[in-house]
Amino acid sequence: MNRIVVLTPLIILLIICIFSLTYLLSGKDPNKPPSALLNKDVPSFESSSLYNSKKVIKTKDIKNKKTLINFFASWCSPCKIEHPLFFEIRKKYPQLYLLGFNHKDPTSDAIKYLEDDGNPYHFVGVDSDGLIALEFGVFGLPETYLIDEDGKIIFKFMGPITKDILKNEIEPLL
Amino acid sequence: MSSLVGFLSLVFAIGINFYLFLSRYIFKFQKQKFNLFTRFSSLLTLLSFFSLMYAYVVSDFSNYNVFQNSHSNKPLIYKISGTWGNHEGSMLLWLSILSIFSFFFSFTKNIDESFKRLTLIIQSLLHILFGLFIIFTSNPFLVNSILVNEGLGLNPILQDPGLAVHPPILYGGYVGYSIVFSIAIAGLFQNTDDEWLYVAKKWSLISWTFLTGGIALGSYWAYYELGWGGWWFWDPVENVSLMPWIAGLALVHSLMMVRGEQAIKKWIIFLSILCFSLSVFGTFLVRSGILTSVHSFAADASRGIFILLIFFIVTGFGFLVFLLKEPKKSKTLNLLFINKVSALVINNILMIIATLTILLGTIYPIIIEVLYNKRISVGGPYFNATVIPIMIPGFLLMSIAPILSWQTNKIQNSKKYVLGFIILSVLVLIQSYFLNFNTWGFVGLLLGFWIILASIIAIFSSYNVKFNIKFFQIINPHIAHIGVGIAIVGITCSSVFQNELDFNLNEGDEFNVNGKKVIFEKIETTNEINFQSLRGNFLFDIEKKQSKKIEAGKNYYPVSKMITSEAGILHQWNRDIYFILGDQKNNEWFVKVLINPFVSFIWLGVVIMIYSGFIAVTKR
Repeated sequence: MNRIVVLTPLIILLIICIFSLTYLLSGKDPNKPPSALLNKDVPSFESSSLYNSKKVIKTKDIKNKKTLINFFASWCSPCKIEHPLFFEIRKKYPQLYLLGFNHKDPTSDAIKYLEDDGNPYHFVGVDSDGLIALEFGVFGLPETYLIDEDGKIIFKFMGPITKDILKNEIEPLL
Repeated sequence: MSSLVGFLSLVFAIGINFYLFLSRYIFKFQKQKFNLFTRFSSLLTLLSFFSLMYAYVVSDFSNYNVFQNSHSNKPLIYKISGTWGNHEGSMLLWLSILSIFSFFFSFTKNIDESFKRLTLIIQSLLHILFGLFIIFTSNPFLVNSILVNEGLGLNPILQDPGLAVHPPILYGGYVGYSIVFSIAIAGLFQNTDDEWLYVAKKWSLISWTFLTGGIALGSYWAYYELGWGGWWFWDPVENVSLMPWIAGLALVHSLMMVRGEQAIKKWIIFLSILCFSLSVFGTFLVRSGILTSVHSFAADASRGIFILLIFFIVTGFGFLVFLLKEPKKSKTLNLLFINKVSALVINNILMIIATLTILLGTIYPIIIEVLYNKRISVGGPYFNATVIPIMIPGFLLMSIAPILSWQTNKIQNSKKYVLGFIILSVLVLIQSYFLNFNTWGFVGLLLGFWIILASIIAIFSSYNVKFNIKFFQIINPHIAHIGVGIAIVGITCSSVFQNELDFNLNEGDEFNVNGKKVIFEKIETTNEINFQSLRGNFLFDIEKKQSKKIEAGKNYYPVSKMITSEAGILHQWNRDIYFILGDQKNNEWFVKVLINPFVSFIWLGVVIMIYSGFIAVTKR
């Protein structure tokens, strides 16, 4: 009996270490939680265009077409890294609708950024107060979502997308 | 240059510790020399740490770590605190504090010399483990491969005076337990006499006091910087500091009570190992990036695995020695229905259950994610519903525990306590009846005031009141408990009776907060050295001549492109009025006002606990 009591800490230690090790080795990243939004309906949003505040995009406007939503900002340097990839996507998949949300950015900075680096998006919506990002549960910029024709989120990625991710994870869904 | 000095002295210090470690088995040398070598290696480690600090102070961007985490525009204090405001530097701080503790321990006089040497050898082993960890996975002295003349800045949320000193003090607690750990292990190996228990008591008190200060600073920072109006969030990072704190509390109490009983001695050794294990576990959880928070600087799997390995070795070694080498049999426990020993046993059991409950809540998300690939978070509701009820009987007991007898079931002056408790209950009940009744509020207030009252009764009825140092040493346990009572009152009031008001305001608008007129004067933006600030200026209580000015707003840090919120707090002795400036929408500003009653009591209670910690160190 006494032995078992004394052994308990060692057993607890083993359990903790095994789980922690599995967690670390499985390549899980706490910055990339499994999304709760996956396979759910896209949150409803309404946003005006960066270039013309009268032009508005709403949730129902992206119904019946596959849409790639990307949250970006001029102050976000990882966004700059993934930026050229969107041109490739647009060229390769002309039917895919590219929707960019400019997150918490002064309008002039955002316009200048898209002038300098080019604008790959079909529509750039303004999310100056971050409310749309809040609805989507954006954790940090950049973040990318793929929405299918039924308006369901079928893919979510946090951080800059890379060629590998595009090839292995996004393209199979397109 | 300074980086080279730092790196070499770090390596050299580890080398000396290898030598010291092997000295037990291979090289034999005199005790005097042994102590000198220990001190020398400590000084080298400190030299290494200060070289890094020097690189930060002079903004030496040829050091990659400085380049990544500093900026020449930063005020000097944040350059200094930048030394430990990153993963590599903070691990070096960890090692330096370990060295400082070894250094001072090597001067301890009143224990057996070979026992001391054994303790220091175990310290050397810890030094080697963490030193190798720094060199192989977290070297702060790497050379920057490109030539630059400006750095990348520091996480702006960390640019805060309270937070600048928070890590060293917290580490004083975490790492201080290493000495207690080493003493306990040495105690298992060298089952000589009980002298080491007194030495262990001193060191565990020092560590616990530092830990208390560190946790309090962290939560005070969260209170005014995070802008949520709370001071404790059951965030995993807070939990990992709370676990060694509670275990340390159990340890300190056991050490004060021990009178040679074999069972308590065994228990003390167990707690000593547990405290340090929990500290290392906390370091692992935070540093491996398994938990995301302001504390996780960079997620790197190899680092995580290395610290996990250290945690496994240290804890496994500790508990294995505990399993194999039992302390000698001596006196048995004198357990009665209600005497000092039984109170101690109950209090220890409660504290350990509380620690395990927190541990479960903290690692549960990791287990679930491994098993089901689902991310869950365990937060306030779980901890409030489990930990608090577990602690309540302990709080009830602590009010009278210091005056319980060793030998009998009798309580001195028991009538006074019963009478005091009844009067107090009636008063609190009346108070709750007139304010809106809340069960937790009632329980918390009754508990808090009961602890304070019972301690005061005990001081005045059990001792001759004299105002000299000795008297304060004698009543110190009661003083510590009064601190706890005051903190409980503060915690209860500020969480249960918090009041929240939301406004949408234009500049110049007047509004009411608790019957006091407040005016939202204007929005001001200014450029500071390293950030731009936006402040909403409020005048509180404008009908009075001395109305109070409150500034709430945000800071924008251009270098790291981050925004931090800066709450405006009006501190009054009985409440804090806490202003948060939200976003602007349609020319109106969203303003949240929180009225937190008796928050100051929490900090006052903590200060009293820290004071008692220091007083207890001076007492034998």
